[in-house]
Amino acid sequence: MSANRYEVLDAAIDQGDSEPVSGLPQLDRPPSPWETSMQATCDCLSWRGALDALERRQAEDELGETLYAESPVHARSTLVAAHLLMDRGVITPDELQAKMAEVRARLEKA
Amino acid sequence: MSSDHDHDHDHAPIQEAPEIDEFEVLETAVRELSIEHGLFSAEDHRRFSEWAQSIGPTGGSRLVAKAWVDSEFKQRLLADGTTASEEIGIDWHDPTGTGTPSDYTYFYVLENTPEVHNTIVCTLCSCYPRPVLGMSPEWYRTPHYRRRMVRWPREVLAEFGLHLPPEVEVRVHDSNQKSRFMVMPMRPEGTDGWSEDQLAAIVTRDTMIGVALPQVSWTASAAPSEPTSSA
Repeated sequence: MSANRYEVLDAAIDQGDSEPVSGLPQLDRPPSPWETSMQATCDCLSWRGALDALERRQAEDELGETLYAESPVHARSTLVAAHLLMDRGVITPDELQAKMAEVRARLEKA
Repeated sequence: MSSDHDHDHDHAPIQEAPEIDEFEVLETAVRELSIEHGLFSAEDHRRFSEWAQSIGPTGGSRLVAKAWVDSEFKQRLLADGTTASEEIGIDWHDPTGTGTPSDYTYFYVLENTPEVHNTIVCTLCSCYPRPVLGMSPEWYRTPHYRRRMVRWPREVLAEFGLHLPPEVEVRVHDSNQKSRFMVMPMRPEGTDGWSEDQLAAIVTRDTMIGVALPQVSWTASAAPSEPTSSA
């Protein structure tokens, strides 16, 4: 696991639906459907051997106190999974950025 | 299937795309790229989503019932819940079994005694022993429960209808990413000679979270035909 900053993830944090960080996550928010979907993504990545769940959790602990300390707790699995997949060269920052643009355009289409 | 939608609603149809959360965009992008790169399939994702929504507390009920009738198993379960779970087919480490890799962690079973009552919570988020209890109930994830249980456990338990005598110590166990807990309630009187299946039926989800006690006449799916106590 690297301590690299990825611009594509920094941009997501800047624009993401963040709450003020005050030690504990915002307690009165129900999980969004995408968070449930991310749980299944993490399950799949580990099940297929692409990214071990315990390894990801340990990275979440470590990066959650450093690089992503200012990001909301509920977004850390997503950020860290993306971070680790880019570290390993499985996906590149450019293709993630392009895919995010594609997804955003799809969601914005009324 | 008809696409007609001509009945009345008291609200207007959604006309505009909702505000987009960039983290949702990131999640979708990571998932779709993972699928495109062959890390897993869309079918895998659907299956794990379905699994997470469909598992229930049956595994936990079986663990407790088995421990109630088999003292040696009980000792193994209390000593190492992760390993003992394998004896009823729940492998926390094997994602192809009933476990899930995101729950790859340490599982502890907490024994209630006449002196100590255990209960579980996750103050940070909603960590929960999914392989043995299924998905957490909605109230478990609410701030009302999470915030207050660690501060005023007796008060919160009373709101669930569980009034413990003052001499019983209440221990609240805060779950986290690495540790998951489950309560082993005390076997109620009046269950002598019961089979494991009969016993498992009264070990409901809430008794293993620690907000209720098993009752001989109540199961998760059936209430007694008439009240057994005053309101």
